[in-house]
Amino acid sequence: MKYDVAVIGAGPAGLAAAISAEKHGAKVVLIEREDRLGGVLKQCIHDGFGLIRYGEKLSGCEYANRYIDILIERMNYGNIELKLKTFVSKVDKIDDGFNLLLSSRGKLENIKSEKIIFATGCRERTPKQVSIHGSRPSGVFTAGLAQYYLNINGQMLGKKCVILGSGDIGLIMARRLTLEGANVLGVYEAKDSPSGLTRNIYQCLEDFDIPLYLSHTVTRLHGRNRLEGVTISRVDQNMVPIEGTEEYISCDTLIVSVGLIPENELPKTLNVPLSKHTKGAIVNQYYETEVKGIYACGNALHVNDLVDYVSESGEEAGKFAAIRDKFEQEAVEVTFTSDFGYVVPQKIVKDTEPATFYFRTSKIRENVIVKVYDGDKEIFKKKYLNLKPPEMEKIKVPIDGVSEIRFVMEVIQ
Amino acid sequence: MINRTFTCIVCPNGCKLNVTASEDNAFIVTGNKCKKGIEFAENEILNPKRMLTTTVKTNFDLMPYLPVRTDNEIPKEKVFEVMSILRKTVIEKNIKVGDIIIENISNTGVNVIATMNTEEKRYG
Amino acid sequence: MNINRKLKKRFANNVKAKLVDDKIVLSGNVSSWDEKVSAGLIASKPGGRVHVVNDIKVKGLEDEKTIFPFINDNKLDGRKPDVLIIGGGVVGCAIARELSKYDIDILLVEKEYDVALHASSRNDGMIHPGLDIKPGRLKKKLNNIGNAMYDEFCSELDIKFNRCGQYLCFANYILLIPIIFAIPYFNLTAAGKTHFVSRKEMRKREPHISEDIKYGLYFDGAGSICPYGLTIALAENAIQNGAEISLDTAVKDMKLSGNKIEEVVTNRGCIHPKMIINAAGVFSEEIAKMAGDRFFSIHPRKGTSAILDKEAKKNVNTIYSSFNLEKNNHNTKGGGIVSTVDGNVLVGPNAIETNEKENFDTEKSSIDSVFKKQKRVGNWLTGNDIITYFTGVRAATYEEDFIVEKGRNTHNIFHAAGIQSPGLTAAPAIAVMMRELINKEIPEMIRKEKYLSHRKTFPKISEMDEDDRREYIEKNPDYGEIVCRCEEISKGEILDSMRGPLRCDTVDAVKRRARPGMGRCQGGFCGPQVAKLISIEKGIPLNEVRKGYEDSYILLGEKNEI
Repeated sequence: MKYDVAVIGAGPAGLAAAISAEKHGAKVVLIEREDRLGGVLKQCIHDGFGLIRYGEKLSGCEYANRYIDILIERMNYGNIELKLKTFVSKVDKIDDGFNLLLSSRGKLENIKSEKIIFATGCRERTPKQVSIHGSRPSGVFTAGLAQYYLNINGQMLGKKCVILGSGDIGLIMARRLTLEGANVLGVYEAKDSPSGLTRNIYQCLEDFDIPLYLSHTVTRLHGRNRLEGVTISRVDQNMVPIEGTEEYISCDTLIVSVGLIPENELPKTLNVPLSKHTKGAIVNQYYETEVKGIYACGNALHVNDLVDYVSESGEEAGKFAAIRDKFEQEAVEVTFTSDFGYVVPQKIVKDTEPATFYFRTSKIRENVIVKVYDGDKEIFKKKYLNLKPPEMEKIKVPIDGVSEIRFVMEVIQ
Repeated sequence: MINRTFTCIVCPNGCKLNVTASEDNAFIVTGNKCKKGIEFAENEILNPKRMLTTTVKTNFDLMPYLPVRTDNEIPKEKVFEVMSILRKTVIEKNIKVGDIIIENISNTGVNVIATMNTEEKRYG
Repeated sequence: MNINRKLKKRFANNVKAKLVDDKIVLSGNVSSWDEKVSAGLIASKPGGRVHVVNDIKVKGLEDEKTIFPFINDNKLDGRKPDVLIIGGGVVGCAIARELSKYDIDILLVEKEYDVALHASSRNDGMIHPGLDIKPGRLKKKLNNIGNAMYDEFCSELDIKFNRCGQYLCFANYILLIPIIFAIPYFNLTAAGKTHFVSRKEMRKREPHISEDIKYGLYFDGAGSICPYGLTIALAENAIQNGAEISLDTAVKDMKLSGNKIEEVVTNRGCIHPKMIINAAGVFSEEIAKMAGDRFFSIHPRKGTSAILDKEAKKNVNTIYSSFNLEKNNHNTKGGGIVSTVDGNVLVGPNAIETNEKENFDTEKSSIDSVFKKQKRVGNWLTGNDIITYFTGVRAATYEEDFIVEKGRNTHNIFHAAGIQSPGLTAAPAIAVMMRELINKEIPEMIRKEKYLSHRKTFPKISEMDEDDRREYIEKNPDYGEIVCRCEEISKGEILDSMRGPLRCDTVDAVKRRARPGMGRCQGGFCGPQVAKLISIEKGIPLNEVRKGYEDSYILLGEKNEI
């Protein structure tokens, strides 16, 4: 067995996982398909990263750099091998772990690892996935793609921009494009509440007088060559466009920020069960999936709101992949009511240590108590003044001796 | 009397602040979960400030643009002025994270620093 | 005249039919495009050789303006090819390739920036058994001959062809007896063999067919290909054999002397061909008109299909569709669920009459109706699997049959017109038929000694076994660098796609050849890499890289320089 742990993806989750696994005694290989470390943080030049972890407002690049520095330092001990510009083409289960087929410039190689950590991040939902019709001109970008072109290549995208989706990347791009001289005509959001953090609405939109239109969506593109305009429609509560509310807006650029989907193509080939709520793998509190030896962390597991949590899950996954023995352990199911968007982890292996859970509310709520039950027994509760779907919550729950775990939400009268 | 409501941008909590200020600049801030909110609210009325992040051009093919930020907040009204200075800036030598690109930009007392190394050692 | 009685009943005195030189010319005024089409259909005899020429005016509707290329130069001025082919669709390219076997000078002009940009890339890629076409029609004959040619055709051109067969599924027993009796008839008249299949047998191969399907017919002659891949292959092979293909070249006028075309005016100069082949798809009527040989009319009919994620592939191994009893007055194949050769699933298309020949807009209502219809046979279908959708426009005549013949009035034009479904299946046979027509005009046409019948395309790295793949990567390191991760396409393949015999310098043209951006992220990750490779390979700045059409620039330029 050549490696103890193979980490796939060197973004914030993968960097943390590799460092942590090595610190806990594993021989690690870190595989990244791009030529630089850091994943999406390379293009996140804006600040606000690391408040929880470092108590500082770092830019995404700086945040990544802190981990890159540690990684490079730990590489001196000889137990981390880095493979950049390397694509994992295939993973096969073998008797004592996994065989990975790696493709890189001039080389196709097989490596073996006892365990694998998937830290593959997420991909963006595309305009077609939100049923935008009409023509197919140039000038339509997903927000992350736009961010790449502008921040990495230094290329300007357009002069008159419409942004669909009020997720954080959409808001950040609204400000970024404005600072670079583009005219951002507005941010349109199909939901009746913003998807991004409230402070980003304030500092990215209100600061620059960029209007936010809730319950509106882009339904149609116009233009054969370059985008010439979009049709905007109001939507009803079910986010279905209302006929007769169409409005044409002339623009040359549409930035679409309509959600992220955890990237799990390889785990699927290994029959790793995924959660329909998170679209990531189903894991226990050790970040191990339902397939022994396969771990998942970061945005590949569920889309996090803050990078600090991404690193945290990477560290945990790295640690447990390094120290946990491979033996079957009975797990109990974690269930939750429809008041929750999701709860991670979805399974709990019996342990005396408390387990960390992340959850999101399914809609905006005020003055609620989140309670965790083991059968009829309440094992945890916490009050919240505000719960918003864009914001993730983290709690630590004692799980010693539980036979089930059930999350409920109650309104405080 | 000033009465304004806005969102605190100090941390991701995004508290909704309500500020009442009388003529003698006595502020009453509500809605804040921590004391940083009070400071932010006062500043937001007297002298709103923002961090600025952008990129500047380099002479390096591997990284044509280098990400930078202000090392502290600058007055909000100077944001576009600073942007136009940075648009003319070109990095010609290797730079490390935290290195100062422009000192005391636009007389704000704030420096613009690199947030990435220009020449990253490439492994693998 | 019986037709005029029918027209009068429907349109009072607003529409008139007149028999002029063996064609039925309609004139008058109606208030909608659909009425104009109805009049055409009333006046026509399906499959007839006396065609309807529809000159009816629609109130408030101006004639569609053809979108011409921006470029104007003299590149082709004075060219005197033996044969000028107008239209770089699958038919035009198949004809070019067939004729390139002979020692004649061939020029093909295409108004778009690439071949196969209209109906030839905007269809379901099905190779049809041709069951639903009435015997006696030209398209029946050409479909059956073409279908039989496909295995060799694709193997010569090095493109994937999956003769996977097709299930026609029935949800009730009403038709059971007539269907069983019809099988010997299908076996006589359609391409391939038709088998009756029980629900059990059907579900052995297609376990995800809806529960309520009771029985079906299996056509072993049906298959699936990548239609634009085929068109590109044909074009490349024609070029390899000496044909010239001029893109961004539109025919704007023709000058005749008597019954002969002397000069063809294009935006790239005036051409003086001996013979002209009209393979202009939806524009074949305009070309015929320029040639003084307009004896048919095209009424465009658009259809929209959706492409599903590879994830959905587990539900489809072949092609399946449901038989519906409702009268289908649009004369389409009715669409289906197709397992594509590239590992996706295609659902569709529908059929809607339109006056717009170049409007490829998609509508949500089309996707909804296609899904609703196909859910009868595949109730697993979900909109969540959609990764993209597209619209194509069919070039239908009122007689709903192909026209492959010498001009009726002008002697040096040859029409391949009215080619709609199953035009893809029939394309190789149309090409042969056209070559025979040309051969009659040039009896001395001799076969080239050095004709290259086999075209070899670049390697598809992700489809290779490990040893082959390693060998390729070690030979050319670019094959190891994966650029498009959804489809696992290497830098080497992307560069190869730009180095073929036919010009390829846009993101969409690269996408049609090497498939980066065809996957579920739709170019979200590989887009910048592909754009950069085009910029380097073609020696143009990044902001001059186009998505596809002229002026479809992706970026404005460096932010500090604007």
